[in-house]
Amino acid sequence: MGNMSKLLNKSLRRFAAYAGIVLACSIPVYYFAISKLWQYELDEHNIILTPEAGREDTFIIIGAITLLTVFFFALLLGGFIWLNRRISHRLWQPFYHTLEKIRAFDLSNHTAVEFEHSNIAEFEELNSSISRLLDSNITTFRQQKEFTENASHELQTPLAIVQLKLDLLMQAPSLTSAQAQIIEETHNALSRVSRINKNLLLLAKIENQQFSELEDIDLAESLQRILELLSALFGEKAIHCKIDSSYLLKGNPILVEIMLTNLLMNALRHSAPEEGLELSLSANVLRISNPGRNELDSSKLFRRFSTASAHTPGSGLGLSLVKEICNRYGWSVSYRFEGQMHSFSVAF
Amino acid sequence: MKILIIEDEPELAKGMVDYLSGQHYLCELATDYHQAREKIGMHQYDCILLDLMLPGGSGMEILDELKAQHKEDGVIIISAKNSLEDKIHGLELGADDYLAKPFHLSELSARIFSVIRRKNFANSNVIQQGELKVDLLAKTVEVAGSVVLLTKKEFDLLLFFMGNKNKVISKSALAEHLSGDLADMLDNHDFIYAHIKNLKKKLAEAGSGSYLKTLYGNGYKWEI
Repeated sequence: MGNMSKLLNKSLRRFAAYAGIVLACSIPVYYFAISKLWQYELDEHNIILTPEAGREDTFIIIGAITLLTVFFFALLLGGFIWLNRRISHRLWQPFYHTLEKIRAFDLSNHTAVEFEHSNIAEFEELNSSISRLLDSNITTFRQQKEFTENASHELQTPLAIVQLKLDLLMQAPSLTSAQAQIIEETHNALSRVSRINKNLLLLAKIENQQFSELEDIDLAESLQRILELLSALFGEKAIHCKIDSSYLLKGNPILVEIMLTNLLMNALRHSAPEEGLELSLSANVLRISNPGRNELDSSKLFRRFSTASAHTPGSGLGLSLVKEICNRYGWSVSYRFEGQMHSFSVAF
Repeated sequence: MKILIIEDEPELAKGMVDYLSGQHYLCELATDYHQAREKIGMHQYDCILLDLMLPGGSGMEILDELKAQHKEDGVIIISAKNSLEDKIHGLELGADDYLAKPFHLSELSARIFSVIRRKNFANSNVIQQGELKVDLLAKTVEVAGSVVLLTKKEFDLLLFFMGNKNKVISKSALAEHLSGDLADMLDNHDFIYAHIKNLKKKLAEAGSGSYLKTLYGNGYKWEI
């Protein structure tokens, strides 16, 4: 809790200050009353004191009152602290239980929280309110997940029909080259639509905290596997690999693979055939760089559908997926432009 | 060869029947859960194409049913969900393959081809076509008795073509077949030119007939 103070300590401090002020103010009042009484008694019995003796009495009275006041103040303060400890321990027990339960709550588990029964009305009300809030959260989460799946199903089927019809059209014997070209171009646009659909669903799933299973992943091994796959597609482009030591990280294998593939594909796609890209992994930092001419707008780079350069035919979601996955695991991804090189690095 | 298509979307079903009939498969159609149960109970199929979301029930239950009846039919799940859990679950229940929508008809045909080959020719799985002999288990190709050394991708391509005889296959279908999900992220599919060029060259040098034709500049056809 650091320098935060607990609720009851806050009120204790006020009480103590108030008691202190009241007792301090009572000192002159007591003095005034006692010296008046003392004077009255002296006058009653016709006793006349020398000024020295009078001054001495005044000092004795003030001293005695101050001493007694301090003693009672200490007594009050000690009592307050002791009572406060006892009260906070017992009274706030249900509150701390509730707090513990909320802290342990995980939306992706889909399990409702059972609070302990309390006989204090306020806490009971708090618990039931929180329960209601969590229940509606769980319901919304479930609905969102269902929506994600339904949306996928509803969109994939018409997409599948269009693709299938194009395949059939391609079989027509009287097809001309120009028509075949149109079919191929339609195909390309269609696969872009399916890719956007797929990536949007993936983003939604990550945001919904799906893919919750964690595994130990050997980063160097994963990279090697993806590079092998990519080299079959980009045989002519050189990838200069510099892997100092592997790094073991905890994450969902599917998400980690998507992140690495997106970063690598991004670099490969945006470099000319004769250029290569550089990949380095040292300690917990992965850096992927490729040559480029103009710096990209880094404020827009990771936002959805804000492809920084107008010439790229990508889905506009690749880097936002990378960002989302990094956010999920608390990794940081950054972009820099140095010495005519675009460079993306991820710190795990 | 008999194929049962279990699919509730009429346009998809019709298209699949169109394409596969041209491949000399005999296609039957079931458009809901009960029809599908009835058909698998009465007949034996070489391959069943199974949509998971069906009116009246789930495709998974049909898989259960096939397993309970000890049926040997090959099953390819065709699903719009593309979820990993479904895929794993389906394969555990005895499906042979899983294809996510949307897919290319040529991809479907190639998968059916390989499932049927795997089921029916478990021990000696050799395709003989003229002077061309392809051993699916050993993954070797011979032309008139002499071995042709193909890379993994070239062998893949050859099988893909043989599973789509006399059909025009688009460049994007080939690209998706070779690169899987990565094809989505590629700007162009030119990388397949190199593979096809090499495959053609190797087969021609070994003395095979030129079955592989280029059409319209961006389509291919395995003609026999």
